[in-house]
Amino acid sequence: MKKLVSVSASSFLTLVMLSACSDNGSEEAASSDQGEWSPTNNLEFVAPAGAGGGWDTTARMAAQAFEEAGIVDVGIGVINREGGGGAVGWSYIANQAGDPHYLFAASPPLLLIPLNGQSEYSYEDFTPIANVIADFGAFAVRDDAPWQDLNELFEDMQDESSSITVVGESAPGSMDHVQFVNIAKAAGVDPGSITYVSAQDGSAMTNLLNGSVDVYSTGVTETIEQVRAGEVRVLAVTAEERLEGDTVEDYPTAIEQGIDEVFVNWRGFFGPPDMTEAEVEYYVNAFTELNESEEWDAVRERYSWDEYFMVGEEYKQFLEEQNEEMRLLLEELDLYGESE
Amino acid sequence: MAISLEGILFVFIGVFVGTFIGLMPGLGPISAIAIMIPMTYNMDPTIALVMMAGVYYGAIFGGSTSSILLNAPGVAGTVATSFDGYPMAQQGKAGKALAIAAIAAFIGGTVSVVFLMLFAPVLSSVAIQFGPPEYFALMLLGLTAIASLSSGSTIKALMSALLGIMVVTIGIDAQTGTVRFTFGSANLLEGIDFLVIALGIFALAEVCALIINRQKTTFNAKTIGSLKITKEDFKEMVGPMSRQSVLGFIIGVLPGAGATIASFIGYTTEKRFAKNPDEFGKGSIKGLTAPETANNAATSGAFVPLLSLGIPGSGTTAVMLGALLVLNVQPGPLLMTENPTLFWGVIMSMYIGNIFLLILNLPLIPYISKILAIPRPMLISLVVVFCIIGVYSISFSIFDLYVLLAFGVIGYLMRMFQFPAAPFILAFILGGMLEQSFRQAMTISGNDVSIFISNPLSATLLALAAVSFLFPLWQSYRKKKKNNQSLSM
Repeated sequence: MKKLVSVSASSFLTLVMLSACSDNGSEEAASSDQGEWSPTNNLEFVAPAGAGGGWDTTARMAAQAFEEAGIVDVGIGVINREGGGGAVGWSYIANQAGDPHYLFAASPPLLLIPLNGQSEYSYEDFTPIANVIADFGAFAVRDDAPWQDLNELFEDMQDESSSITVVGESAPGSMDHVQFVNIAKAAGVDPGSITYVSAQDGSAMTNLLNGSVDVYSTGVTETIEQVRAGEVRVLAVTAEERLEGDTVEDYPTAIEQGIDEVFVNWRGFFGPPDMTEAEVEYYVNAFTELNESEEWDAVRERYSWDEYFMVGEEYKQFLEEQNEEMRLLLEELDLYGESE
Repeated sequence: MAISLEGILFVFIGVFVGTFIGLMPGLGPISAIAIMIPMTYNMDPTIALVMMAGVYYGAIFGGSTSSILLNAPGVAGTVATSFDGYPMAQQGKAGKALAIAAIAAFIGGTVSVVFLMLFAPVLSSVAIQFGPPEYFALMLLGLTAIASLSSGSTIKALMSALLGIMVVTIGIDAQTGTVRFTFGSANLLEGIDFLVIALGIFALAEVCALIINRQKTTFNAKTIGSLKITKEDFKEMVGPMSRQSVLGFIIGVLPGAGATIASFIGYTTEKRFAKNPDEFGKGSIKGLTAPETANNAATSGAFVPLLSLGIPGSGTTAVMLGALLVLNVQPGPLLMTENPTLFWGVIMSMYIGNIFLLILNLPLIPYISKILAIPRPMLISLVVVFCIIGVYSISFSIFDLYVLLAFGVIGYLMRMFQFPAAPFILAFILGGMLEQSFRQAMTISGNDVSIFISNPLSATLLALAAVSFLFPLWQSYRKKKKNNQSLSM
C-alpha cells in the first residue's frame, strides 16, 4: 500500500511525499507531477466552524502571519463553513478534491466526530499538511472541594455510590469529555461510570461555581482568572510537562501525580483529497517557514499556544495513533458509531 | 479611558458599524466582532472593548429598522419588534414606529447601564446561582406566555408552539450526541438557525401572502407619517419602558439568556398586564416599546457576568472575551479591582454610545423609511433578495436557502389556517434551553426529579409558572360560568 515514489534531495521531503501518496490512495496523481508547484490563485483557508472559535482563530492567524511574513505570494481568504461540528466544512473540502488552493484548520474533533459516526468523511480522506500548535486541557474543581489532588478525585469516582459529575463545553464524545475520560481511565476509573454533563451554552463555569457539578474539564486558559481569584483549583493539566507562565506553572500534570497519560489538543492544517507531492511539498515548506517566522512566534505567544510542529510521516503516524486511541475510548463510552 | 477623544471616536465607529450590521439581516454581531478582532491587536484593551461593545448594542439598536419596515428582522434580538412595529408601518405610521423604537432602545440601553454601574457585583452573585434546574423553571415560566401570544384559538397557539419545540430538536443532541431528525443530511446536524426561521416565517410568508391574495394586501404604506410622538403616545410608552428596562436587564445578566429571550419575555409580559391586550399584534405602541426596551437593556446586562466574573453569558460576549485574552486582559473576578479603567471605560462608553445611536438613528428615519415608497412589485423583490442574502451570509449554505423557502411556505400555510406564528417562534427560542437544562439537571441528580423542587429558587420559579399557566384558565372558566348563569336566567 505504501509505495515509495521518488528519490529526493532530502529524506525529509521523501517522507512528505510518502504521506501525500499514501493518504490519498491516488498513486497516479503523485507520480504524474514531478515539477515544482506554487499556487496560481488565491488560497482559501477554511474554518469548519463559526467565527471566534479555535479553528477560526488558528486559520485567521496563520493566514495573517503568512501574508505578513511574505511567505505566500498570493492572497489568503479565511472563510467559515459552520455546521455539524465540522462535518459541513469537511464535505465542502472533500468536494474540492484535486484543487490544492483549499486548506482547512483541524484538531482532535476531526478524529472524534467521524468516530462518533457524525461525518461521512474522516481524517483519512484528507491530505495532512502540517501540525503547527497545541494546547492542553485542565480539570478544575471549586476551591472548597474535598479533593486535593487528582488521585483523591479518581478514588472517589471509583466508589460505586459516587455522584461526581463532570461538566464540559463540548458534546459527549468530543474534546472536553474525551480528555477527561482519557486521563481517568489511565487511573483506573471505568469510562462508562463517568457522568458527563454537556453545557454548550457557555454555562459550564457557572455550574461549577454554583455547585451544580463537581469537575470542569476545559482548556487551560479558561481556568486562570478563577484560580487567581481563589474560586477554583486546577487538579491537573493534560500536558506532559508543567506549562510556563504565571499561575499555570502551578498546575500539576497528571503524570507527576503518577497517572501516565496526556491529552494534546493539537491543531494543524489539512488539504483536500488527491493532492500531488509537489503541492504538498509547497505547503510543507511554507508551513516550515511559518513555524520559524517571527510573526508566527508572536501569534503563539499572544494566544499562549505551544509549538507543536509536525509534517510528513511523523504527523501521519501521530494521527493514526491518536485516532486509534480515540476509537478505543469512544467504544468504551459506547459513543463509537461508524458512519457508512 | 473612554472619555478620551480617541475613545469617543471608537465608540462612534463601533455603534456605526453595529447599526449597519443590524440593518442587514444575516450578518450578526458575533461574526462582525470576530472579523474585527485582528483590527484590535494594537489597540488599548479598553478602546478595543468599547468598540466591540458598540458593535453589539449598535446591532440590536439598528436591527429594529428592517423588522419594522419589511417584517424582516435584521438580528435575532429584534424579531419580536416586528410583531407590532410592522403592522404600525403598514398603517402608514412607519416614521412614528421607528421613532418609538429608537427612543425605547435608547431608554432601555441607558437605564440598564445605570444598573450595570450600580449593581454588577451584587447581580452577578445572584446570576451565578442559576444552575440547570433554575434555567428549566425559568424557561417553563417563559413558555406559559404562549397562550397570551395567540389572538384566536388557544389550541392553535399550543399546536404552533409544539411545532416550534419539534423543530428545535433537529440536530445533534447536546447531551448524548445522538443525531435527531436530520434525515442523514450533514446540513441539519447543527439544527436550524433561528434567523432562517424568523425570516422565512415572517418576511417570506408575508411576501407569499402579498403575491397570492392580491386584494388582501397589506403593503399599502405609501406614507410614513409624522415622526412626532404625541403626549398620549409617550404616556403609553412610559410603562413598558420602565418595566422592561429592569426585566430586560435581569434576563441579560443570566448567562445563556440574551437579547432575544429578553425581547420575547418583555413582549409577552406587557401583553399579559395590558388593559387592552387585543391591540397587541395590530400596531400597539406598548407592544413595540416593550421588546425594543428589553432587548437593548439585555445587552448591558450581558456585560455583568463578563465584567464581574469573567464568564461570558452569550455568544457575542464570548467572542469579546477571546479578543480581550489576546490583548492580555483576562476578565475574571479580579477585573474590577485590578483593571478599573476597563470596567468604568466600558460603562462610560455605553452612555455615550447610546446617545450616538439616538443621534445616528433619528435623523435617518425619513430617508430610510422612504423604502416603503418603492412600488410594490419592486419592494416585494427587494424583501426576497434581502432575505436570501441575509440567510446565505449566515453560513454560506445553499441548503439554508431551501430551509428559508420551506419556512416561508409553512409560515404562509399557518397564516392561511390562522395558526399564530409567535408561539412557534417563542417555543423555538425557549425550547432548546428548556430541554437541555431539564436533561442536564436529570443527569446531575441521577434521574431524581426532586432536584427541581428541593432548592428554593427553582421551586419558586416553578410555582410562578404554575400560577401563570393556571390563572388565565381560571379566568376564562369564571367568565364562562358567568355567561352560563346569565344565559340560564
